[in-house]
Amino acid sequence: MDMTYDIKIDPALAIGHKEELEKRIFFISADISGFELLTDEKQIQGIKLSLLSGADPQLIATNVNKVIQSEIAQQIALPPKVIWRSARHHQAYQEGLFDRLLEKEMVYEMGEGLVCFGDQLIRLMDTLDDVIKNMTVSQFAAQEYRYPTLIRTKALEKCGYFKSFPHMLMFVSRLHNDIDMYQEFQDNYRQKEGIGPYIFPLFKNADYCLPPTMCYHTYHQLQNTRYSENRNQVITSKGKSFRYESKYHRTLERLWDFTIREIVFLGSKDFVLECRQKYMKFTFDIIDKLGLEGHSEVASDPFFCNADSAAKIFNQKMQELKYELRLNVTGDRTIAAASFNFHDEFFGERFNIKRGETEWMRSGCVGFGIERLVYAFISQHGLDEKKWYEIIDPLAEVYKSK
Amino acid sequence: MKIKEKVRSFLGEHVNGKEFDDTDNIFEKGLVNSLFAMNLVTFVEREFAVAIDNADLDLNNFKDVNAITTFVERKLA
Repeated sequence: MDMTYDIKIDPALAIGHKEELEKRIFFISADISGFELLTDEKQIQGIKLSLLSGADPQLIATNVNKVIQSEIAQQIALPPKVIWRSARHHQAYQEGLFDRLLEKEMVYEMGEGLVCFGDQLIRLMDTLDDVIKNMTVSQFAAQEYRYPTLIRTKALEKCGYFKSFPHMLMFVSRLHNDIDMYQEFQDNYRQKEGIGPYIFPLFKNADYCLPPTMCYHTYHQLQNTRYSENRNQVITSKGKSFRYESKYHRTLERLWDFTIREIVFLGSKDFVLECRQKYMKFTFDIIDKLGLEGHSEVASDPFFCNADSAAKIFNQKMQELKYELRLNVTGDRTIAAASFNFHDEFFGERFNIKRGETEWMRSGCVGFGIERLVYAFISQHGLDEKKWYEIIDPLAEVYKSK
Repeated sequence: MKIKEKVRSFLGEHVNGKEFDDTDNIFEKGLVNSLFAMNLVTFVEREFAVAIDNADLDLNNFKDVNAITTFVERKLA
Protein backbone atom coordinates (compact mmCIF):
# COMPACT_ATOMS: atom_id res chain seq x y z
CA MET A 1 0.00 0.00 0.00
CA ASP A 2 1.25 3.50 -0.86
CA MET A 3 2.32 5.98 1.81
CA THR A 4 2.62 9.75 1.40
CA TYR A 5 5.63 11.79 2.36
CA ASP A 6 6.10 15.57 2.17
CA ILE A 7 9.42 16.99 1.09
CA LYS A 8 10.27 20.62 1.77
CA ILE A 9 12.28 22.35 -0.95
CA ASP A 10 14.69 24.71 0.74
CA PRO A 11 15.32 27.22 -0.69
CA ALA A 12 12.03 27.18 -2.61
CA LEU A 13 12.20 26.93 -6.41
CA ALA A 14 10.81 29.61 -8.73
CA ILE A 15 7.52 28.48 -10.28
CA GLY A 16 9.14 28.76 -13.72
CA HIS A 17 11.02 25.51 -12.94
CA LYS A 18 7.78 23.51 -12.55
CA GLU A 19 7.99 21.65 -15.85
CA GLU A 20 11.69 20.77 -15.50
CA LEU A 21 11.00 19.38 -12.01
CA GLU A 22 7.86 17.44 -12.98
CA LYS A 23 9.59 15.60 -15.80
CA ARG A 24 12.39 14.32 -13.53
CA ILE A 25 10.58 13.10 -10.39
CA PHE A 26 9.63 9.58 -11.50
CA PHE A 27 13.18 8.97 -12.74
CA ILE A 28 14.60 9.64 -9.26
CA SER A 29 13.22 6.42 -7.81
CA ALA A 30 11.06 3.53 -9.01
CA ASP A 31 9.46 3.66 -5.53
CA ILE A 32 7.74 6.97 -6.33
CA SER A 33 4.22 6.11 -7.49
CA GLY A 34 2.79 9.64 -7.63
CA PHE A 35 3.49 13.23 -6.70
CA GLU A 36 1.94 16.65 -6.28
CA LEU A 37 3.90 19.89 -6.25
CA LEU A 38 3.13 22.17 -3.30
CA THR A 39 3.16 25.65 -4.79
CA ASP A 40 2.02 29.19 -4.32
CA GLU A 41 1.79 31.75 -7.12
CA LYS A 42 5.52 32.30 -7.38
CA GLN A 43 7.32 29.34 -5.85
CA ILE A 44 7.44 25.58 -5.45
CA GLN A 45 7.71 25.02 -1.70
CA GLY A 46 7.62 21.26 -1.56
CA ILE A 47 6.48 17.97 -3.05
CA LYS A 48 3.89 15.51 -1.71
CA LEU A 49 5.20 12.10 -2.77
CA SER A 50 3.26 8.85 -2.92
CA LEU A 51 5.70 6.02 -2.21
CA LEU A 52 5.44 2.27 -2.58
CA SER A 53 5.56 0.27 0.63
CA GLY A 54 9.12 -0.56 1.63
CA ALA A 55 10.48 2.66 0.17
CA ASP A 56 13.06 4.66 2.12
CA PRO A 57 11.48 8.15 2.32
CA GLN A 58 14.58 9.90 3.64
CA LEU A 59 16.84 8.51 0.95
CA ILE A 60 14.32 9.53 -1.71
CA ALA A 61 14.01 13.02 -0.18
CA THR A 62 17.79 13.37 -0.24
CA ASN A 63 17.93 12.32 -3.89
CA VAL A 64 15.06 14.63 -4.88
CA ASN A 65 16.86 17.58 -3.30
CA LYS A 66 20.14 16.53 -4.92
CA VAL A 67 18.52 16.58 -8.38
CA ILE A 68 16.85 19.92 -7.64
CA GLN A 69 20.14 21.54 -6.59
CA SER A 70 22.35 20.03 -9.28
CA GLU A 71 20.04 20.14 -12.30
CA ILE A 72 17.13 22.49 -11.77
CA ALA A 73 17.93 25.35 -9.38
CA GLN A 74 20.85 26.41 -11.59
CA GLN A 75 18.67 26.72 -14.67
CA ILE A 76 17.59 30.15 -15.81
CA ALA A 77 13.80 29.91 -15.98
CA LEU A 78 12.34 31.87 -18.86
CA PRO A 79 8.92 31.64 -20.50
CA PRO A 80 8.78 29.60 -23.74
CA LYS A 81 9.94 31.50 -26.82
CA VAL A 82 7.19 30.91 -29.39
CA ILE A 83 8.24 31.32 -33.04
CA TRP A 84 5.06 30.24 -34.87
CA ARG A 85 1.35 29.79 -34.20
CA SER A 86 -1.12 27.86 -36.36
CA ALA A 87 -3.90 29.61 -38.24
CA ARG A 88 -6.49 27.29 -36.62
CA HIS A 89 -7.69 28.03 -33.07
CA HIS A 90 -10.43 27.16 -30.59
CA GLN A 91 -11.43 23.77 -31.86
CA ALA A 92 -13.61 21.34 -29.98
CA TYR A 93 -11.50 18.53 -28.51
CA GLN A 94 -12.35 14.89 -27.94
CA GLU A 95 -13.14 13.99 -24.33
CA GLY A 96 -11.69 10.73 -22.96
CA LEU A 97 -10.23 9.95 -26.35
CA PHE A 98 -7.90 7.09 -25.39
CA ASP A 99 -10.69 5.26 -23.53
CA ARG A 100 -12.89 5.61 -26.60
CA LEU A 101 -10.12 4.18 -28.79
CA LEU A 102 -9.94 1.19 -26.44
CA GLU A 103 -13.74 0.74 -26.38
CA LYS A 104 -13.93 0.85 -30.19
CA GLU A 105 -11.03 -1.64 -30.36
CA MET A 106 -9.01 0.79 -32.44
CA VAL A 107 -6.08 0.26 -30.05
CA TYR A 108 -5.09 -2.37 -27.48
CA GLU A 109 -2.78 -1.82 -24.52
CA MET A 110 0.02 -4.38 -24.63
CA GLY A 111 2.11 -3.15 -21.66
CA GLU A 112 3.43 0.05 -20.15
CA GLY A 113 3.66 2.54 -22.99
CA LEU A 114 3.11 -0.26 -25.53
CA VAL A 115 0.12 -0.05 -27.84
CA CYS A 116 -1.25 -2.21 -30.64
CA PHE A 117 -3.01 -0.34 -33.46
CA GLY A 118 -5.98 -1.51 -35.52
CA ASP A 119 -6.37 -0.98 -39.26
CA GLN A 120 -7.99 2.50 -39.11
CA LEU A 121 -5.11 4.05 -37.19
CA ILE A 122 -2.51 2.12 -39.17
CA ARG A 123 -3.95 3.69 -42.35
CA LEU A 124 -4.01 7.15 -40.76
CA MET A 125 -0.40 6.85 -39.52
CA ASP A 126 0.80 5.61 -42.91
CA THR A 127 -1.11 8.31 -44.82
CA LEU A 128 0.25 11.15 -42.68
CA ASP A 129 3.74 9.68 -42.86
CA ASP A 130 3.45 9.46 -46.67
CA VAL A 131 2.55 13.16 -46.83
CA ILE A 132 5.69 14.01 -44.84
CA LYS A 133 7.90 11.58 -46.75
CA ASN A 134 6.67 12.69 -50.17
CA MET A 135 7.17 16.34 -49.24
CA THR A 136 10.71 15.51 -48.05
CA VAL A 137 11.63 13.60 -51.21
CA SER A 138 10.06 16.13 -53.61
CA GLN A 139 11.25 19.33 -51.92
CA PHE A 140 14.60 18.21 -50.45
CA ALA A 141 15.67 15.44 -52.86
CA ALA A 142 15.99 13.13 -49.88
CA GLN A 143 17.27 9.55 -50.17
CA GLU A 144 15.38 7.01 -48.11
CA TYR A 145 16.92 4.19 -46.05
CA ARG A 146 15.46 1.52 -43.81
CA TYR A 147 17.60 0.70 -40.78
CA PRO A 148 17.75 -2.41 -38.59
CA THR A 149 15.95 -2.15 -35.27
CA LEU A 150 19.04 -2.74 -33.14
CA ILE A 151 21.87 -0.23 -32.94
CA ARG A 152 25.42 -0.96 -31.80
CA THR A 153 26.09 0.21 -28.26
CA LYS A 154 29.33 1.78 -29.51
CA ALA A 155 27.37 3.93 -31.98
CA LEU A 156 25.07 5.16 -29.24
CA GLU A 157 28.12 5.85 -27.08
CA LYS A 158 29.61 8.06 -29.81
CA CYS A 159 26.36 10.04 -29.85
CA GLY A 160 26.97 10.98 -26.21
CA TYR A 161 23.71 9.29 -25.21
CA PHE A 162 25.09 7.59 -22.10
CA LYS A 163 26.25 10.84 -20.55
CA SER A 164 23.16 12.83 -21.39
CA PHE A 165 20.19 10.44 -21.22
CA PRO A 166 21.06 7.38 -19.07
CA HIS A 167 17.47 7.23 -17.79
CA MET A 168 16.03 6.44 -21.25
CA LEU A 169 18.54 3.78 -22.31
CA MET A 170 17.23 0.42 -23.46
CA PHE A 171 19.93 -2.26 -23.62
CA VAL A 172 19.42 -5.49 -25.52
CA SER A 173 21.03 -8.55 -24.05
CA ARG A 174 20.88 -12.34 -24.43
CA LEU A 175 22.24 -15.40 -22.69
CA HIS A 176 25.97 -15.49 -23.23
CA ASN A 177 26.94 -17.70 -26.17
CA ASP A 178 28.22 -20.64 -24.11
CA ILE A 179 26.86 -24.14 -23.58
CA ASP A 180 27.48 -23.95 -19.81
CA MET A 181 25.46 -20.72 -19.63
CA TYR A 182 22.55 -22.28 -21.53
CA GLN A 183 22.65 -25.29 -19.21
CA GLU A 184 22.77 -23.10 -16.09
CA PHE A 185 19.84 -21.09 -17.39
CA GLN A 186 17.75 -24.19 -18.06
CA ASP A 187 18.57 -25.69 -14.65
CA ASN A 188 17.57 -22.47 -12.89
CA TYR A 189 14.49 -22.03 -15.06
CA ARG A 190 13.27 -25.51 -14.14
CA GLN A 191 14.13 -25.28 -10.44
CA LYS A 192 12.75 -21.77 -9.89
CA GLU A 193 9.82 -22.20 -12.27
CA GLY A 194 10.35 -19.02 -14.18
CA ILE A 195 12.61 -16.07 -14.79
CA GLY A 196 14.30 -14.39 -11.80
CA PRO A 197 17.36 -12.39 -10.84
CA TYR A 198 19.51 -15.48 -11.48
CA ILE A 199 19.55 -14.54 -15.16
CA PHE A 200 21.66 -11.37 -14.80
CA PRO A 201 25.08 -13.04 -14.34
CA LEU A 202 24.24 -15.10 -17.45
CA PHE A 203 24.02 -11.94 -19.59
CA LYS A 204 27.56 -11.01 -20.47
CA ASN A 205 26.72 -8.90 -23.49
CA ALA A 206 25.59 -5.31 -23.80
CA ASP A 207 26.80 -4.73 -27.33
CA TYR A 208 23.43 -3.70 -28.78
CA CYS A 209 20.71 -1.28 -27.75
CA LEU A 210 17.30 -0.26 -28.97
CA PRO A 211 17.62 3.07 -30.82
CA PRO A 212 16.11 6.15 -29.15
CA THR A 213 15.91 7.92 -32.49
CA MET A 214 16.59 7.23 -36.17
CA CYS A 215 19.25 9.85 -36.96
CA TYR A 216 21.87 7.98 -34.90
CA HIS A 217 21.64 5.16 -37.46
CA THR A 218 22.42 7.69 -40.19
CA TYR A 219 25.61 8.99 -38.55
CA HIS A 220 26.67 5.41 -37.85
CA GLN A 221 25.98 4.50 -41.49
CA LEU A 222 28.22 7.35 -42.70
CA GLN A 223 31.05 7.00 -40.17
CA ASN A 224 34.59 7.37 -41.56
CA THR A 225 33.24 8.91 -44.78
CA ARG A 226 34.89 11.79 -46.57
CA TYR A 227 32.48 13.85 -48.68
CA SER A 228 33.72 16.20 -51.39
CA GLU A 229 33.90 19.77 -50.13
CA ASN A 230 30.79 20.88 -52.06
CA ARG A 231 28.56 17.90 -51.31
CA ASN A 232 25.34 18.24 -49.34
CA GLN A 233 22.85 15.44 -48.68
CA VAL A 234 19.43 14.80 -47.19
CA ILE A 235 18.53 11.36 -45.82
CA THR A 236 15.17 10.17 -44.51
CA SER A 237 14.15 7.03 -42.66
CA LYS A 238 11.31 5.71 -40.56
CA GLY A 239 11.57 3.24 -37.74
CA LYS A 240 10.68 2.16 -34.25
CA SER A 241 12.38 4.14 -31.49
CA PHE A 242 12.52 3.29 -27.81
CA ARG A 243 12.89 5.46 -24.72
CA TYR A 244 12.20 4.20 -21.22
CA GLU A 245 9.57 6.58 -19.86
CA SER A 246 9.19 5.32 -16.28
CA LYS A 247 5.69 6.28 -15.08
CA TYR A 248 5.39 9.10 -17.60
CA HIS A 249 3.95 6.85 -20.32
CA ARG A 250 0.49 8.04 -21.30
CA THR A 251 -2.09 7.16 -23.99
CA LEU A 252 -0.49 7.65 -27.43
CA GLU A 253 1.17 10.82 -26.17
CA ARG A 254 4.19 9.23 -24.53
CA LEU A 255 5.12 5.67 -25.48
CA TRP A 256 8.19 3.54 -24.73
CA ASP A 257 7.99 2.08 -28.21
CA PHE A 258 7.04 4.53 -30.94
CA THR A 259 7.66 5.50 -34.56
CA ILE A 260 9.85 8.32 -35.81
CA ARG A 261 10.01 9.71 -39.34
CA GLU A 262 13.43 11.30 -39.41
CA ILE A 263 15.09 13.64 -41.88
CA VAL A 264 18.84 14.33 -41.61
CA PHE A 265 20.54 17.27 -43.35
CA LEU A 266 24.27 16.89 -43.98
CA GLY A 267 26.61 19.45 -45.51
CA SER A 268 27.83 22.99 -44.92
CA LYS A 269 26.57 24.99 -41.97
CA ASP A 270 24.60 27.29 -44.29
CA PHE A 271 23.03 24.34 -46.11
CA VAL A 272 21.96 22.61 -42.88
CA LEU A 273 20.53 25.78 -41.32
CA GLU A 274 18.73 26.76 -44.53
CA CYS A 275 17.26 23.25 -44.81
CA ARG A 276 16.03 23.35 -41.22
CA GLN A 277 14.40 26.74 -41.82
CA LYS A 278 12.81 25.67 -45.10
CA TYR A 279 11.65 22.38 -43.56
CA MET A 280 9.94 24.21 -40.71
CA LYS A 281 8.12 26.42 -43.22
CA PHE A 282 6.86 23.36 -45.13
CA THR A 283 5.85 21.61 -41.90
CA PHE A 284 3.90 24.60 -40.60
CA ASP A 285 2.14 24.83 -43.97
CA ILE A 286 1.17 21.13 -43.72
CA ILE A 287 -0.11 21.63 -40.16
CA ASP A 288 -2.24 24.58 -41.29
CA LYS A 289 -3.59 22.59 -44.26
CA LEU A 290 -4.44 19.73 -41.88
CA GLY A 291 -6.47 22.25 -39.88
CA LEU A 292 -4.52 21.55 -36.70
CA GLU A 293 -4.04 23.90 -33.78
CA GLY A 294 -0.55 24.22 -32.33
CA HIS A 295 2.59 26.29 -32.14
CA SER A 296 6.36 26.02 -32.37
CA GLU A 297 8.80 27.09 -29.66
CA VAL A 298 12.47 26.94 -28.70
CA ALA A 299 13.07 23.71 -26.77
CA SER A 300 15.68 21.53 -25.12
CA ASP A 301 16.41 17.82 -24.73
CA PRO A 302 15.61 15.89 -21.49
CA PHE A 303 19.18 15.83 -20.11
CA PHE A 304 19.37 14.00 -16.78
CA CYS A 305 21.82 12.83 -14.14
CA ASN A 306 24.74 14.92 -15.33
CA ALA A 307 26.47 17.90 -13.71
CA ASP A 308 26.20 19.73 -17.05
CA SER A 309 22.45 19.19 -17.56
CA ALA A 310 21.47 22.78 -16.68
CA ALA A 311 24.23 24.28 -18.86
CA LYS A 312 23.33 22.00 -21.78
CA ILE A 313 19.66 22.96 -21.56
CA PHE A 314 20.56 26.64 -21.41
CA ASN A 315 22.98 26.37 -24.34
CA GLN A 316 20.39 24.62 -26.51
CA LYS A 317 17.85 27.34 -25.78
CA MET A 318 20.24 30.26 -26.15
CA GLN A 319 21.58 29.07 -29.48
CA GLU A 320 18.11 27.90 -30.58
CA LEU A 321 19.53 24.50 -31.47
CA LYS A 322 16.13 22.87 -31.05
CA TYR A 323 12.58 23.88 -31.94
CA GLU A 324 9.52 21.78 -31.21
CA LEU A 325 6.21 21.65 -33.02
CA ARG A 326 3.61 21.36 -30.25
CA LEU A 327 0.05 20.34 -31.16
CA ASN A 328 -2.99 20.66 -28.93
CA VAL A 329 -4.66 17.55 -27.53
CA THR A 330 -6.98 19.66 -25.37
CA GLY A 331 -7.72 23.39 -25.36
CA ASP A 332 -4.82 24.07 -23.00
CA ARG A 333 -2.48 21.10 -23.35
CA THR A 334 -0.02 20.43 -26.15
CA ILE A 335 2.35 17.59 -27.03
CA ALA A 336 5.60 17.75 -29.02
CA ALA A 337 4.85 16.14 -32.39
CA ALA A 338 8.10 17.09 -34.14
CA SER A 339 11.46 18.68 -33.45
CA PHE A 340 13.89 20.58 -35.69
CA ASN A 341 17.49 20.32 -34.55
CA PHE A 342 20.89 21.75 -35.44
CA HIS A 343 23.95 19.76 -34.26
CA ASP A 344 26.64 21.81 -35.99
CA GLU A 345 29.77 19.59 -36.25
CA PHE A 346 29.04 17.41 -33.19
CA PHE A 347 28.16 14.20 -35.05
CA GLY A 348 30.59 14.86 -37.91
CA GLU A 349 33.45 14.93 -35.43
CA ARG A 350 32.17 12.03 -33.32
CA PHE A 351 31.71 9.75 -36.36
CA ASN A 352 34.64 11.07 -38.40
CA ILE A 353 32.48 12.32 -41.28
CA LYS A 354 34.44 14.92 -43.20
CA ARG A 355 33.57 17.43 -45.87
CA GLY A 356 36.68 18.12 -47.90
CA GLU A 357 40.12 17.73 -46.35
CA THR A 358 39.69 19.49 -43.04
CA GLU A 359 36.07 20.40 -42.32
CA TRP A 360 33.78 18.23 -40.21
CA MET A 361 30.37 17.51 -41.71
CA ARG A 362 27.68 19.73 -40.21
CA SER A 363 24.31 18.17 -39.52
CA GLY A 364 20.78 18.84 -38.41
CA CYS A 365 17.67 16.71 -38.24
CA VAL A 366 13.90 16.77 -38.07
CA GLY A 367 11.97 14.04 -36.27
CA PHE A 368 8.21 13.45 -36.32
CA GLY A 369 6.60 11.30 -33.65
CA ILE A 370 4.01 9.59 -35.84
CA GLU A 371 1.80 8.29 -33.00
CA ARG A 372 1.75 11.74 -31.41
CA LEU A 373 0.90 13.40 -34.71
CA VAL A 374 -2.00 10.98 -35.15
CA TYR A 375 -3.17 11.45 -31.56
CA ALA A 376 -3.23 15.24 -31.97
CA PHE A 377 -5.03 14.83 -35.30
CA ILE A 378 -7.84 12.67 -33.86
CA SER A 379 -7.97 14.79 -30.66
CA GLN A 380 -8.86 17.73 -32.89
CA HIS A 381 -10.77 16.11 -35.76
CA GLY A 382 -12.52 13.20 -34.04
CA LEU A 383 -12.93 9.58 -35.07
CA ASP A 384 -14.92 9.88 -38.32
CA GLU A 385 -12.60 8.20 -40.84
CA LYS A 386 -14.37 9.78 -43.83
CA LYS A 387 -13.67 13.23 -42.47
CA TRP A 388 -9.98 12.38 -41.96
CA TYR A 389 -9.44 11.76 -45.65
CA GLU A 390 -11.50 14.75 -46.77
CA ILE A 391 -8.86 16.80 -44.93
CA ILE A 392 -5.75 14.80 -45.87
CA ASP A 393 -6.41 13.71 -49.48
CA PRO A 394 -6.02 17.15 -51.14
CA LEU A 395 -2.72 17.62 -49.30
CA ALA A 396 -1.54 14.12 -50.17
CA GLU A 397 -2.25 14.89 -53.86
CA VAL A 398 -0.09 18.03 -53.76
CA TYR A 399 3.08 16.14 -52.86
CA LYS A 400 2.28 12.91 -54.67
CA SER A 401 2.12 14.75 -58.00
CA LYS A 402 5.49 16.53 -57.57
CA MET B 1 35.63 48.74 -11.04
CA LYS B 2 34.07 49.68 -14.35
CA ILE B 3 31.75 47.30 -16.21
CA LYS B 4 34.36 46.38 -18.84
CA GLU B 5 37.00 45.63 -16.23
CA LYS B 6 34.63 43.42 -14.26
CA VAL B 7 33.70 41.51 -17.43
CA ARG B 8 37.34 41.12 -18.47
CA SER B 9 38.27 39.95 -15.00
CA PHE B 10 35.45 37.37 -14.89
CA LEU B 11 36.34 35.97 -18.33
CA GLY B 12 40.01 35.91 -17.34
CA GLU B 13 39.15 33.50 -14.54
CA HIS B 14 37.64 31.01 -17.02
CA VAL B 15 40.00 30.88 -20.01
CA ASN B 16 42.81 28.84 -18.47
CA GLY B 17 45.40 31.58 -18.73
CA LYS B 18 44.86 32.21 -22.45
CA GLU B 19 45.22 35.80 -23.64
CA PHE B 20 42.34 37.58 -25.31
CA ASP B 21 41.38 41.00 -26.65
CA ASP B 22 38.15 42.84 -26.04
CA THR B 23 36.95 41.91 -29.54
CA ASP B 24 37.91 38.19 -29.44
CA ASN B 25 34.85 35.96 -29.78
CA ILE B 26 35.34 33.75 -26.73
CA PHE B 27 33.19 30.92 -28.12
CA GLU B 28 34.47 30.84 -31.71
CA LYS B 29 38.11 31.13 -30.60
CA GLY B 30 37.65 28.18 -28.27
CA LEU B 31 38.56 30.19 -25.15
CA VAL B 32 35.50 28.66 -23.45
CA ASN B 33 33.07 25.96 -24.54
CA SER B 34 29.42 26.59 -25.32
CA LEU B 35 28.32 25.31 -21.88
CA PHE B 36 30.01 28.38 -20.37
CA ALA B 37 27.14 30.52 -21.70
CA MET B 38 24.91 29.81 -18.68
CA ASN B 39 27.71 30.67 -16.29
CA LEU B 40 28.29 33.94 -18.13
CA VAL B 41 24.63 34.96 -18.25
CA THR B 42 24.24 34.16 -14.54
CA PHE B 43 27.31 36.33 -13.78
CA VAL B 44 25.87 39.25 -15.78
CA GLU B 45 22.49 38.94 -14.01
CA ARG B 46 23.99 38.84 -10.52
CA GLU B 47 26.96 41.16 -10.88
CA PHE B 48 25.07 44.00 -12.58
CA ALA B 49 21.58 43.28 -11.23
CA VAL B 50 19.98 43.14 -14.67
CA ALA B 51 17.00 40.98 -15.57
CA ILE B 52 17.60 38.82 -18.65
CA ASP B 53 14.62 37.95 -20.85
CA ASN B 54 14.18 35.77 -23.93
CA ALA B 55 14.96 38.61 -26.32
CA ASP B 56 18.34 39.12 -24.63
CA LEU B 57 19.41 35.51 -25.12
CA ASP B 58 21.37 36.12 -28.27
CA LEU B 59 24.93 34.82 -28.32
CA ASN B 60 25.96 38.08 -30.02
CA ASN B 61 25.28 39.88 -26.72
CA PHE B 62 27.78 37.63 -24.92
CA LYS B 63 30.43 36.86 -27.55
CA ASP B 64 33.24 39.20 -26.43
CA VAL B 65 34.17 41.76 -23.77
CA ASN B 66 32.92 44.71 -25.81
CA ALA B 67 29.58 43.05 -26.66
CA ILE B 68 28.91 42.10 -23.02
CA THR B 69 29.81 45.60 -21.83
CA THR B 70 27.54 47.24 -24.40
CA PHE B 71 24.73 44.84 -23.47
CA VAL B 72 25.04 45.60 -19.74
CA GLU B 73 25.20 49.35 -20.38
CA ARG B 74 22.05 49.13 -22.51
CA LYS B 75 20.19 47.14 -19.84
CA LEU B 76 21.20 49.61 -17.14
CA ALA B 77 20.33 52.71 -19.19
